[in-house]
Amino acid sequence: MTPREPSSSTERPARPVPAKLELLVRHDDDSFELREIGSSLGFVQSRPQRIRDGAFEISDVQSRVAGEQSSILKNTETERFLLLTEHERFLWELMDGNTSLQEIATAYVLKYGEFDFDIIPNLIRKLQRAQLLTLTPRSRLRKVLARNRRQRLAKAVEATLLGLERINISSRNVHGFFQALYRAGGFLLFTRATVVACVALAVLGTVAQVALLREVADVFSGFGGHAIRGVLLVKLLLFASVALHQFVHGLACVHYGRRVREFGFTFLHGFVPTFYVDVTDIFMASRRARVVTAVSGALVHLVLGALWFIVGANAPMGSFTQAFATASGIIQLQALAVALYPFCFIEMDGYHVFVDLLGVPTLKHDALAYVKALVTGRTRLRRTRLEFLWIGYVLVSALSIAVFIASNVWLIHSAIS
Amino acid sequence: MQTSADLLAFLREVRLFTVFAETDLAALAQRLSERTLKKNQVLFREGDPGDEMFLIRRGSVLVSKIIKGRVEQLLNRMSPGEFFGEMSLLDGSPRSATIQAEGEVMLLVLGRKSLNQLTETSPHAAAALFHAMVRVFMERLRLADARLTEATRWGLEATGLDVEPR
Repeated sequence: MTPREPSSSTERPARPVPAKLELLVRHDDDSFELREIGSSLGFVQSRPQRIRDGAFEISDVQSRVAGEQSSILKNTETERFLLLTEHERFLWELMDGNTSLQEIATAYVLKYGEFDFDIIPNLIRKLQRAQLLTLTPRSRLRKVLARNRRQRLAKAVEATLLGLERINISSRNVHGFFQALYRAGGFLLFTRATVVACVALAVLGTVAQVALLREVADVFSGFGGHAIRGVLLVKLLLFASVALHQFVHGLACVHYGRRVREFGFTFLHGFVPTFYVDVTDIFMASRRARVVTAVSGALVHLVLGALWFIVGANAPMGSFTQAFATASGIIQLQALAVALYPFCFIEMDGYHVFVDLLGVPTLKHDALAYVKALVTGRTRLRRTRLEFLWIGYVLVSALSIAVFIASNVWLIHSAIS
Repeated sequence: MQTSADLLAFLREVRLFTVFAETDLAALAQRLSERTLKKNQVLFREGDPGDEMFLIRRGSVLVSKIIKGRVEQLLNRMSPGEFFGEMSLLDGSPRSATIQAEGEVMLLVLGRKSLNQLTETSPHAAAALFHAMVRVFMERLRLADARLTEATRWGLEATGLDVEPR
C-alpha cells in the first residue's frame, strides 16, 4: 500500500487516484516478484454474491409497448423492491459469488454486443441499497452502535433506529388483522354473487343518478342555507370511505395469499390526509391478482355512490337528505374516477393497472422526464411507440386535471347557488 | 569492528544520530558490527526470534507481512540511513515483519548486549539514541495510520461498497 503524498490545494484532483496495494509474491526457488494492484483491478475481479435463494423473489413484467421485459426483485426479509431492466436481470443472474465482475462484463458484451460502463456499478449500488448483495454487513452497524452506547451520537442513532423498528413492528401486525377480517366474511367480497350484486347496484345507481341530475338545481336546493356545511360533511364521509377502500385492497391481497405489509394514515404528498395500505407484496403474484387487488378497492366508491344515488332518488324532492345523498354520490363517483383513471399524474389504482397491462412500470417518471427534456430542448422528438405513449400520457393527464378542477368548481357552484 | 573514519562519516549523516556528540557517536560505532546480504536474501522472517536491530549502510531492503500463503503485503522499502528490527531488540518479541534484500546490502548491527553496554558505559549516548528512535517511531505511527486509511479506501473501491450518503 502506498500512501499518497498530500497534494496542494491548487493541484487537488476532482477524483482521488485509485488506491494501490503492493504485494510481494514468493516463488518456489526463493525468488519473488512485486505486484502493484489497483483498487480498480480488485473491483473487476471481485465476485458479487446475491443473497441466498429463498431470501428474494423475482417476477417478470412484460412491456407491450417497447417489447422490453422488466423484472421486479423483492428482498423477502427487508420487504424492499427493485425494478430491474432485462439487461440488469441478466447481470443479477450472474452474481452468484463465483463469477468475477470482469467475467460478468465479458458475458454482457457477448450477449448484447455492447457495454455500458456504468451499468454494473449502478446495479451494484442499487442492489446494495436494497440489501440484495451479501457484501453489505446489515447487522454490523447495530453491533457497533451497541458497543458505543457511551457516545451520545451512537446512542441517538441507535434510539432512532429502534423507533423506526417499532413502527415497522406495528405494521407487521396488520397482516394478522386482515387475515382475521377475511376469514370473518371478507372472502365474500371475492365471490361471483358479490360481482353480480355490484353490477346490479351500479345499474340501479346509474338510473337514480340520471333521474337526480335532470333536476340538479332543485335537488341541491335542499342544502338551503347549509351548503358549505353539507359539502364539508360529504367530504368527511368520503374520507371515511377511503379507509374502507384501503381495507378492501388489503382483503384482496390476503385473498391471493400475499402479505399486507402496512395500514395507516398519512398525508399524501405531504398535505392530503388519507388512509393507506401497503399491498406491494401483490407485485409478486399474477397479473390477474394485481389487477383485482387494484380495482376492488376502487369499487367501494362505485357501491357507495350507487347507494347514495338510490337514497337520493327516494328522498323527498328538495330535501336536505336528497341534496346530501346526491352530493355524496357525485363525490363517490369522482373518487372512483380518480382511483381508476390512470391519467392524472398520481399513481392511483388505475395507473398501476394501466402500466401493469402495458408492461411499462415507470411510465409516469419516464414520460415526465422525456417531455421535460423535449420542452427544454435537451432531446429531440423520435417517432417511436414508447415516446408517443409518453407524450400522450402527459397531454391526457394535463387535460384530465383541468377537466377535474372545472367539474368540481361546477359542483360547488351548483350546491351553493 | 574498527571505528573507521568512513563509518563515523556515515553515522554523522544518519538522521537517527544527528544530535549525537562525537564521543557518543564513537562509543556507538564501537559496538556496531557489519553484515552483508546477497540479492533477495532474507535476513529474517515474520515470527522469527530476534535481539538485534539493523541500520542500512548500503542497498535497500523490503519490509513485508504475510497475508496468506506466499503472498505478503509490501509495507515499506528501506534505504541507507534507515533502521529496523528495534522492536524485537527492545521488547524481545518475535519479528513483526520479514526483511529481504532487494539487491546487495550492507547492514550495521546493534545487538542487545551491545545496547546494554552502551547504556551502562555511555548513558548520554544511549539516551540520545532512544530519544531519536522515539521521534522515528512517531513518524512510523503516522505512516501506519495513513497506510490503514489507504487500505480502507482500497477495500471500499475494490468491493464497490456503497458508502455514499443516501
